[in-house]
Formats: sequence, C-alpha cells, structure tokens
Amino acid sequence: MALEDYRDDCTNCSRCSYCKWIPFDHIKSARFARACPSMEYCNFQAYSLGGRLSVGLSLLEGRIGYNDELKDIVWKCQMGGACDVSDKICRYNIEGLEVMREMRFKLVEDGQTLPQHKPYIDNLHKEENMMMEPGVNRGKWADGLDVKNLAEEKAAVVFHAGCRYSYAEGLQKTARMAVMMLRDAGVDIGIMGENESCCGGRVYQWGYRKELNGCARKNTRVWADAGVKTVVTPCAECYYTFKRLYPEIGFTFEVIHVVEYINRLIKEGKIKLTRSVPLTVTYHDPCHLGRLGEPYVPWQGTREKIYGQIPVWKPSKPRYNGAWGVYDAPRNVLKSIPGLALVEMERIREYAWCCGAGGGVLEAYPDFAAWTAAERLAEAKATGAEAIVSACPWCERNFADTVKSQDEKIEVYDIIDLVQMAL
Amino acid sequence: MALSRDAYRALEDIVGPGYISEDPAVMDSYAYQWLAETVRPNQSKFMPRPEAALLPGSTKEVQAIVRTCNKYKIKVKPYSTGWYFYGAPLTEGVIQLDMRRMDRILEIDEKNMFAVIEPYAIAGVLQAEVMKRGLNCTVTGAGASCSTLVGATCYHGSGGTSIYTGELRENLLGAEWVMPNGEILRTGSIGSGCGWFCAEGPGPSMRGIVRGALGARGGLGVYTKCAVKLSPWPGPVEFPVEGTAPAYRSPLPGNFRAYTLAFKDWDSLFEAYYRLYDNEIGYYAHRQWTMLGADLGPAFWMLYQDPTKSLDDIEEFVQKQEVKEFTEEMRRSFQLVLVGMSQRDIEYQDKVLERILEETGGWKVKKWLEPEMEQFALLYLLRLGKKNLNFVYTGGWVGNFMQVGTPDFVKKYRPLAEDATREYQEKGLLVDCGSDSMMGCVGSISGGGNCGLEQFGFYDVADKVSTAAAVEWMKHCIQEEAMHNIPPGKEGMYLAVGKTHEELQQDLAKQPATHTWQRKIKQALDPNDLGDRMYPTLDER
Ligand SMILES: Cc1cc2nc3c(=O)[nH]c(=O)nc-3n(C[C@H](O)[C@H](O)[C@@H](O)COP(=O)(O)OP(=O)(O)OC[C@H]3O[C@@H](n4cnc5c(N)ncnc54)[C@H](O)[C@@H]3O)c2cc1C
Ligand code: SF4
Ligand code: SF4
Repeated sequence: MALEDYRDDCTNCSRCSYCKWIPFDHIKSARFARACPSMEYCNFQAYSLGGRLSVGLSLLEGRIGYNDELKDIVWKCQMGGACDVSDKICRYNIEGLEVMREMRFKLVEDGQTLPQHKPYIDNLHKEENMMMEPGVNRGKWADGLDVKNLAEEKAAVVFHAGCRYSYAEGLQKTARMAVMMLRDAGVDIGIMGENESCCGGRVYQWGYRKELNGCARKNTRVWADAGVKTVVTPCAECYYTFKRLYPEIGFTFEVIHVVEYINRLIKEGKIKLTRSVPLTVTYHDPCHLGRLGEPYVPWQGTREKIYGQIPVWKPSKPRYNGAWGVYDAPRNVLKSIPGLALVEMERIREYAWCCGAGGGVLEAYPDFAAWTAAERLAEAKATGAEAIVSACPWCERNFADTVKSQDEKIEVYDIIDLVQMAL
Repeated sequence: MALSRDAYRALEDIVGPGYISEDPAVMDSYAYQWLAETVRPNQSKFMPRPEAALLPGSTKEVQAIVRTCNKYKIKVKPYSTGWYFYGAPLTEGVIQLDMRRMDRILEIDEKNMFAVIEPYAIAGVLQAEVMKRGLNCTVTGAGASCSTLVGATCYHGSGGTSIYTGELRENLLGAEWVMPNGEILRTGSIGSGCGWFCAEGPGPSMRGIVRGALGARGGLGVYTKCAVKLSPWPGPVEFPVEGTAPAYRSPLPGNFRAYTLAFKDWDSLFEAYYRLYDNEIGYYAHRQWTMLGADLGPAFWMLYQDPTKSLDDIEEFVQKQEVKEFTEEMRRSFQLVLVGMSQRDIEYQDKVLERILEETGGWKVKKWLEPEMEQFALLYLLRLGKKNLNFVYTGGWVGNFMQVGTPDFVKKYRPLAEDATREYQEKGLLVDCGSDSMMGCVGSISGGGNCGLEQFGFYDVADKVSTAAAVEWMKHCIQEEAMHNIPPGKEGMYLAVGKTHEELQQDLAKQPATHTWQRKIKQALDPNDLGDRMYPTLDER
C-alpha cells in the first residue's frame, strides 16, 4: 500500500471532530471527555486524526512539501488509535490509523526521518532491541531461572518477554514471576533467552516498514525450530505485533497475552489466589491490548459501488474498531484477587486515554509522553484509587517515571505483580 | 498574500508563539472542509488557506486580535468546532480564529436553570455536566460535537428536543460579543450588570443583529461567552451505557419511552404533528431514521446493531424478509421520545399518544419496541452523539428544501422534494436509498407549532461525477422551489458560498430592506470590513 491508495479515506473525512473526543455516548464529565493526546497537547487542527487526513490529502495534491512542522504533525502522535475508535462509531469507510501510519512510511521512504529516532533504529539494526542495549544481554533477565531454554529444548509455548521486560531492571522481576507462574501451573513453557529478538512492532509504527519483516522472520524461525505453537507475552506492544501484524505479513501462531493466560488458569483452578491484597486499584487498558488488540482476519477484496454511489468492499472488509479487544480478562484477574477493589476511570476499554509512550513519542518527544501520562494519572487519582495497574511495561514505565518526576502520589503496578502478591 | 511581519509579530505577542501558526500544512488542515468541494474550483476539498491560525485563550486576547486586525486591515474568521464550511475563510487574506482553548462551562445556575459557556463547550460535554444537576440542554440537530454557543448565537440552533427544550436561539440569555470594531458588548441583562437571565434587557437587546434566524455565521465579530436556558431532566445523572461499539445503548428508567410512529399516509403523519402540539406531550420529536432513505435506512439501522457487520453487508440486510417488513412498516414515520416528570405523567402521556394514534390511524413500529432497539434509540436521540452517520454512505451529503413552517406548509413541499430527487437517484448519481430521505424537527420551537423537512442527497465525495451531480441537484431543487413559489432551502445558502459578488448581489436585491439595513449596521460595526459575506449586505447603488 501507499499513501495514494488512501486518497479516498482522506477525502472522506467530514471534519466532524469526533476523533478528538471519546465516543459521545460515554462522556461523563468535561474533564475527561477528550480522546486525542496529540490534539490536546499541540492544539492546532492538524494534530487530530481529521487534521492529519487533510494534511495527507494536501501532500498527495502537492499543496505542501516537507518541513519540520510536517514531521511533528506526522510523529507527534502515539498511534494509540482512540481517534480511530471514535471515528468508526459512525464511519465504515475511513481507515484513519492506517493513513497516519502510511504517512510515516512515506516520510521514512522519502528520507524525511526524525533525528531523535535514529539512534534507536541504528541500535535495532545492530543489537535487535529497542532499549539501546547490547543484544548479548537480552537473556539476562532470566538468569538462574528454572525454565526451558528453547534454544536447546522444545516446548509448546514460548514466553516472549519483549525488549522492555528483558532490559529494564525494575521490570525484569515481573517477567520472571510471570514465566514461573505459568510453569508452576503446568504450562509447557520456555524462553528464547539471547535468541529472542525485538518484535519489530514499535519501529513499524514509527514508520519503518521493512524492519518488521526482519524481526518477524527471525522470531518465527526460532519459534518454529523449537516446536512452538503458542506465543505468550506480558507486553501489550509485542502482543499486538504478533496478533495483528505478523499474520498480515504471513506469520501465524496462536498469540496470548499473559493476563489472558492467567485468567484462563484461574478459571481452571490451576492458579489459586488466596492471599488478601487490600488495595483499591484502577485498571489502565493499554492501547495495544485493548482497542488495537483485536485478532487479525485474513482478507482481500475489491471496491465497488452499490445503490448508485455507496463504495463498499467485496467481500466485506474486516472491521477493526476496538469492539473485540482484550478488556475483560485483566479485569477478571483483578476481581479474583481477594481484598482488592477495582474502580474504573471515566475513559476505559476501547475509549481509554493512552499512556503516552507509544508511536515513538517517548523517544522523540519525552515531554509530550510525560504530559500524556500525567493526564492519565490525574484520571486515575480522581477515582480514589491508590494504584494504577496495567498490562504493558511501556505504560507502566511511563507512568512510574511521571509519578517520580512530577512527585505524584499513586502506585504503579503490573497485574502480574498483584497476582504474585495474592498467591 | 502572507501577513506582514509586523502584523504577525503583533498577533504573536497577543497569544504567544505556541498559539499562532502560518505553516502551510497546518493552514491546509484549517482550509479542509466538508462541502468545499461543492463550491471550489476543481471540486477541491480546501477552502482558501488562512494566512495564519490563532488560538486565543480569553476574551481579552480575542479583543486584542480584533483590534490588531483593524490596525492592519486583516480579515478575521472565527470558528468553534468548524463543522461547516461557513467557518472557514471564504477568500484569501483571512486569519482563522480557532476558539478551542475557550472551552469552559463558566457557571451552571441550577436554581435559575441556565449555563454560562464559552465557544468550545460542546453540547455533549455541557449535557453531561448539567445532567448531574437534573438538567438538560438543547443539543442541535448537528449533535453532541458542536458548540452550544454557536447554536445560540451564530446559527439556527434547533434540535430533536426543541419541542420541549426550545431552540438554542430561543434559549439565548445574553452574550459577550467582541464586535468587529474591537469593542466588547454584553447583550441583555448581563450588559447592565444584572446577571445572565434575559437576552433582551435590562441592557442592550441586540438579538436581531447578532442573531437573526440564522446568525451572522462568523461574519460579524466573535462571541466569547453566552448564557443558555436549561430544561428539566428527570433521568439519571449520567447515561448508563451498555452494548458493543458502535451500537451503544442506554437502559433508562421507566419514565422514558422511545417510539417510532408510522402512518398510512402523509396527511395522517402531519395530523399527528398537530395533535402532539395541541396536547403538549413529547420530549424529543424528530424525523431521524429516515434521513438514510426510506428504502435503505431500515436495513442500515439493523446492520448497525450487529458489531460483526459493516456497511459492506447492507445488501445482505436489504434482502432479509424481516428487514423488508420493517422497511414497509416504518416507511412514513418519525421518532418520539416521551419523558415523564413522574410515573403518572408518563402514564398520561402514553394514554394521550394512544389516542392520537387511534385518531390518526398510526402505529408504533414493532421492531423499535424491542428493549435493545429502544435503548439504542433513547441514547442515540437524546445524546445525538452519532450524527457523523449523516456521512456514513459516502462521506458527502447535502440537505435541500429545509423550510420551516406549519405542518400544512411542509406537507406541500414534501412531494416536490421527492420528485426533484428521484431522477438523480435513479440515474445512480446520488445514493439510491429512497426518494424520501427527509429528516427534520417535528416541533422546532418549544411547544411545537412549526416543523421542517430536509431532503438528504448522498454523493460520493471522492467521485467527481457524483459531486458534480450533487451541485446540479441543488440547482435543480432551487428551480423547482422557485416554480412553486417556495424560497430556496439550505441548498441556496450552500451555493451562495461559491457565488461571485455580482451573483450574490442579485440574490440579496430580492430582500432589499433587510440587506440595506445590514449594510448600514456593518458600516457602523465593521468599518474596516473584517467580516465576510456570511453577514450579507447589499451594495450602495
Ligand atoms: C450533520 C449536521 C447536522 C446539522 N443539523 C442541524 C440542525 O438540525 N439544526 C441546526 O440548527 N443546525 C444544524 N447543523 C448546523 C450546525 O448547527 C452548525 O454547523 C453549528 O452549530 C455547528 O457548530 P460548530 O461549533 O461546529 O460551528 P462552527 O462550524 O465552528 O461555526 C458555525 C458558524 O458560526 C461561526 N462561528 C463559530 N464560532 C463563532 C464564534 N465564537 N463567534 C462568531 N462566530 C462563530 C463560524 O464562522 C461559522 O460560520 C448541522 C450541521 C451538521 C454538520
Ligand atoms: S477523521 Fe473521522 S472523526 Fe475525525 S473529523 Fe474526519 S470524519 Fe470526523
Ligand atoms: S493515535 Fe492517539 S495521538 Fe494519534 S491522532 Fe489518534 S488519538 Fe491522537
């Protein structure tokens, strides 16, 4: 695909501004009604989904050229897709998120990259991770762990820790707990250690299309060699990449997020939560597990018009509008923890406010990432919760760093941490 | 014609560097507009690019901007959410004021039932906040995303609940207006320091000038605050929302009802309108579902309920026997929401409705009585958070005819609207969804008494032939209207945006008194001609 293929999507925008708000049916207050961090932080119309569609059209028509502001318009956005959900409440014929991604691909292909992203891309090429760390240290998080190493053994399930859990010191213990929890519940599980590579999903969303292929080939080859049927990951970004992006380019495995697996094991009685965790928490839906975490549906089709002028796809095009994301599993897990009270924020599930870390924003515009996180923390605090819980290390780290830098008073947890506390 | 550096710096000093831009990509995002393609050369989606866009944060800043514009003779165009091409620059050399930073609800006076708001307090947000206090506001037919201030001060301001809550233009209780000459005028009681309770005084009553029937649409200064009247809301403090995206629904308590009422012929339908007025029942009364066409709309509303389906599946739905029956059952229909202030009240309203149906031979469409369909209807109609569905078929539509009057008046132009549309649909130039694609208020002022029907034509905005046909259709409708002594509907206003000065003058000369007076007013208030033709004036001979 190329931006040109999305010309109609750009032309189709009715300029209604729905993409700036959570679905109106869900608005509960003036304070937490907004959906788009980019629009709220940057303010000008160009920084909304609708604005970006018009900028896309302007580019296609040769009305504008490249400059630094255009790069900001293209990259100052987390690609979390709240806009896309709100747009699709009413529209079947605009793939807004795809257009925004295609604009990134185009700029990268035309050599119009962001200098802030360059070191990360270079490191990915060299060391196969997003953390600016040496590749050889990737397996260290699991040092001393009594779990199969799938470089040498075989298992039905691979635990893919992902870059952040592998390298971020504060988070490594969470990955260790998760894999042991599954092993103890009887899952035939192993890890790839040093042979695990970045999933490639983050840079893909930054606009680096080709890199995804390389990462996918490498990961899926080692999984296949180890007899893996199912990939389990505690990272929402990896989950999205494996679940949605890999099959799109021809790599298909069963993909499960750790919280889904834990939910299943709790239901089956294989994980028993007995210890009380007397905490009031609120749950933050990671974009990539929630609205973007819908399963990939294979499809190919052509456009035709019916009833004179309605353009439709034949056969029907699968619809990704956040309806089928993973929302209940994490909530079920939290509700299974004795003593723990779950209170909801105003913006949840498919219309959750983004944590701020995605789409290359954390790396290129850290102030914007922190501002976005602070907005979410304010919403979490408004519920009266003592802690915000999530199921993605990128969200958690961005929240934790913001709590620290802004001297906020709220705890940040991974669901896995809370489950461990209740075991 | 870029702004002079002096002018740019002066404007930048007012709002600060973060709130002014003249970047071409940013400017194009402001120029991009729905309907631009019907009036711009080569069917461009872009209106003229503004010279700069500014985001003022206060009345003081707006005033300073307008004064600076007077000094440098720069035209200025404000918008609140910008969902109409009227809000964009109509010519080169204009700066755009994007009012989104002025988004506060300044006051909700529960006892006296009004709210004081800024331009970017959208209806969906205001409604959520006032409902917490047992109140509701008029949401215009444009829905939850639009500015309530705009409905009250700059445009028509009618909506589905107007029969109960009034039109926003009726509900205006005073405004703060930065006039084009840079002075600030507070209209109505607030103008004499008596609080926001009356738009007519004590204090200057400028409603006819700032407001009129359709407002000055950004052509005569900038409104920075206004007060609007609120209405009772005997419902929950927030909508309980269930269901899977996109068809959210709201199970409201037993004092709420949503009906789709259908009739064997048009006479009976319009007779029911009169009887609703006479009996003073109804909280929401509007023809809404038929906007997607009497032939195709019912299939769409059915598929919309199924989150596994999409518009691509509409043909499959049309073929279903159940849908065929549903389509016939609701062919001539409108929506009525009854809200009881008490249990006795809802029982009374239900009884009255039964009698009206008995006497007019009408019926309640069965499918819409199913609990989930009723819950969907209640949420859709009372929140109006899905109005972008107007664009669902093709990304483009125009609404023709829309004349407000008594049901007898509207009844007369109704067949005309259908006849004028059929040919364009049959030729496949507009979506062939049924020649009755008419929507509009059943009672567009509080208590009822008048109504309107707007005939929708859906054109594929990405298709040059279809877009050209939509323009032709608008012109054709105007001719048909003229032949039957009916003034042009909204299509006349749309096309006026693209007319030359001379063409426009010919049109305005048909109402010389109004447009001459408007010239005099403009000369007094806007000596440097900062505004545009949205405040139309007749040239001095
Ligand atoms: C799908 C759809 C359905 C609609 N149905 C109805 C309906 O049923 N009833 C009805 O009354 N209207 C209807 N409209 C029109 C709608 O009410 C107007 O477009 C307007 O109210 C939308 O609000 P906005 O905030 O987007 O206005 P904008 O697009 O921001 O502005 C509308 C006009 O007001 C001017 N303006 C905006 N803010 C200011 C300000 N602060 N000071 C001075 N001038 C300003 C602009 O220049 C522009 O000309 C409909 C529009 C749409 C798109
Ligand atoms: S992208 Fe969609 S939601 Fe946003 S303005 Fe355009 S049509 Fe509306
Ligand atoms: S992806 Fe997120 S930040 Fe980007 S435009 Fe959409 S809502 Fe805004």
